[in-house]
Amino acid sequence: MFFRVIDKARLPDLVKGLATEYEVIAPIAKGEQFVYAAVTDPADMRLDYDTTLLPPKRFFFPSEETLMRFRVADNEVLDDEVYAAPRVLFGLHPCDINALLLMDNVFSGKYEDPYYLRRREQTLLIGISCTPSETCFCNVWDTNEVHWGFDVFLTDLGDRYFASCRTVKGAEILDRFVENRQVTDQDTTDFQSVVHGFKNSFKRVADTTQLPVLLDAKFDSPIWDEFGDRCLSCGACSMVCPTCYCFDVEDRLEPDQKSGVRVRTWDSCQFKEFAAVAHGQNFRESRASRVKYRYYHKQWGYLSKFERVLCVGCGRCARACPAGITPENVIAALQTGEVR
Amino acid sequence: MTAIQESAQRDIEANPYRPWPARITSITDLTDKEKLFELRLIDEDVREAFQFESGQFVELSIFGVGEAPVSISSAPSKQGFIELCIREAGDVTGAMHRKKCGDVVGLRGPYGRGFPFTEMKGHDVLLVAGGLGIAPLKSLINHIHDDRHEFGKVTILYGAKSPAEVLFRYQFDMWQHRDDFDLILTVDQPDETWTGETGLVTRLFDKIDVDPANTYGAICGPPVMYKYVIEEMRKKDMDVDRIYVSFERRMKCGVGKCGHCGVGHQYTCVDGPVFNYWEAMNLQGAI
Amino acid sequence: MYWQLTSSGHLPDEYDVAVIEGAATTGEHIETLRKVRETAAVVIALGTCAVTGGIPALAGTLDYDARYGVVYGDGIAVARGRQVPVPVTSVIAVDYQVPGCPIDPAEFVKVLSRALMGLKDAIPVDPMCAICKTEENICFLDQGKACLGLVTRTGCGAKCVSLSRPCTGCRGLSPEANLPAARRVYADKGLDPAELDRLFDLYNAAREVVL
Repeated sequence: MFFRVIDKARLPDLVKGLATEYEVIAPIAKGEQFVYAAVTDPADMRLDYDTTLLPPKRFFFPSEETLMRFRVADNEVLDDEVYAAPRVLFGLHPCDINALLLMDNVFSGKYEDPYYLRRREQTLLIGISCTPSETCFCNVWDTNEVHWGFDVFLTDLGDRYFASCRTVKGAEILDRFVENRQVTDQDTTDFQSVVHGFKNSFKRVADTTQLPVLLDAKFDSPIWDEFGDRCLSCGACSMVCPTCYCFDVEDRLEPDQKSGVRVRTWDSCQFKEFAAVAHGQNFRESRASRVKYRYYHKQWGYLSKFERVLCVGCGRCARACPAGITPENVIAALQTGEVR
Repeated sequence: MTAIQESAQRDIEANPYRPWPARITSITDLTDKEKLFELRLIDEDVREAFQFESGQFVELSIFGVGEAPVSISSAPSKQGFIELCIREAGDVTGAMHRKKCGDVVGLRGPYGRGFPFTEMKGHDVLLVAGGLGIAPLKSLINHIHDDRHEFGKVTILYGAKSPAEVLFRYQFDMWQHRDDFDLILTVDQPDETWTGETGLVTRLFDKIDVDPANTYGAICGPPVMYKYVIEEMRKKDMDVDRIYVSFERRMKCGVGKCGHCGVGHQYTCVDGPVFNYWEAMNLQGAI
Repeated sequence: MYWQLTSSGHLPDEYDVAVIEGAATTGEHIETLRKVRETAAVVIALGTCAVTGGIPALAGTLDYDARYGVVYGDGIAVARGRQVPVPVTSVIAVDYQVPGCPIDPAEFVKVLSRALMGLKDAIPVDPMCAICKTEENICFLDQGKACLGLVTRTGCGAKCVSLSRPCTGCRGLSPEANLPAARRVYADKGLDPAELDRLFDLYNAAREVVL
């Protein structure tokens, strides 16, 4: 990789420079919490954010998007172009970049999803180091580190940033928009001390030993009934999850009923009808089976295909679940057989 | 693949969610609830590129209504046309039932993993269907029929609720008078005209001989049926990895993205819908 | 189109599509509803009063006659054959429902379109929290404030919460709501679990007859 150092006071230059050519999306405050939003003034950015309400997935896979316009009479597609403007996501934490890498696996492969991938191609990612919050547990999945998937990653060394450039584009924007210098040995030493401090600052631990086996061996465990009794089936966990990608598709007609749009929206396996088929059979009728499926898929289904678990430990679901169901209690319950 | 097929393939791959217009070329009423539709993709290149195997499915797309997964009933050898046996159940299948010959609908696919036709060659085949489960198996039966000399004994056990609900009866009536297939039909609720067997399809296993070392099984039917049919096949000492089942799940996107058809750790649309019993046993909640 | 509020003329004998607003509050209403159901090909219940009984149904809790007396005085029969207000959905089978107080016109158009296409009712069944999360609203419950989104039928886009007002349950109880779990959530967030039911009564006092 290629490294540079940027003086902290100079960072706004980078944002301003980027804003001349890209839409810049960065964390800003919303009440006492944070959201990703378009920024034009670097002063609005809150790079000290802990986490955002929604993960950055919505900039590639929006909560609602039109797939195509159609005409009813001859069942013809009128337009299925993917419109993606050049964009920079500024200030992503390692967990969220890792989450996008997991999403990439799903939306590419034998059947490429043009909507997601086109936006992905059009977007630069600039990561930034973070401080673990109360609900963070990326350390559990080793997603506290990120080695690719970004264009530039900025590690905060106090008065300056240690900038890792992963791509040509990343190196280019640094050189064009912000004053920077070569890395010295002192910078590298400070970088090491910062990342070690980061690694040692996590408060959460989880015993993930042999989770896929436990999920199978304890498939009929009563812990799932207990979680099922607690679950509100509201789907909040899926919406805020940076790695949940399930979607639904519906057709919306114009009032004249002659044409319309096919739209996809975020969906959740926690919804009652998610696995129901038209003949009336519902393969996951009970709440317990649905809660279980979410974890089964994340910790084993996805793993069986892509050799990674489908969780980055961002803690958003733990914050969002009104009923207090968190990956930590589910994993602990699987290990101990008791729901805390 | 020809250059034209390759270019059509590229168009198809550019957007896997895009349905391709297909004209309904014939409609046959099978029962009160099921019709057999014959469809022809309108674009010649797309039609050429559409090559499938028995057990695969398509997404039937009716703009303004939505999409539904439907298994293909015709044999791959029937080039240029695709047969779909459709029960009126939801919005899409309901709208399809209101379509007329000559109307245009959309198709995407073929999707999923079908039956291991090549592997089955040189062996006996035991096909067991319940109700609408005959739809994907009919593709396999027709395909076997095309290459009949390559197979050993082929036995079809098919159960329906009542005589009026027996699908493809005309074809079975024809086959029953030929030596190509050993066909046994059974219904749960016989009427006065019924001369065949009565009771569940599992009862027919008493009437057949199976050479376990040399037989492939293929099962498709309502979810409750699998466990009992597999039990019967296992009693006949058939191998777990030679018993094939085809699952119905909510294959909404067909391409392994939308998540609706998840079964155990797999997706029915891309990993199935045909699994062997060993695989199916390892899919939690599948059977 | 026949719109009874604007015309005193007789109602027609048959309808293709009958859109019915409001709760049934008199015997005559009940009769009319039954007649409409017999003759209309499609019946759509429009608005919360028709779907859940809404605010009128609140009057039906406890002693309806006494409450009526407080408002109109003793012995005055303002509405002949008056009865405890009930939702249309509890009197006759309806084909489509458009809940909400007020309704979302876009949802109504969508339902009309489905009715014309001969498609089944696709009224959402899940609770609201998911859509509220996609709107990036800050959760009222997390701030110790009562909100009914966790048990209310989704489909409104969480408009109220997005405008900084907690959900008041105007779209009715989600058939998938987990009420015991929701009461526990209230207790966990420092709220009185009974408050959930009390607040929910505002638009859903007749929920026993709806479910």
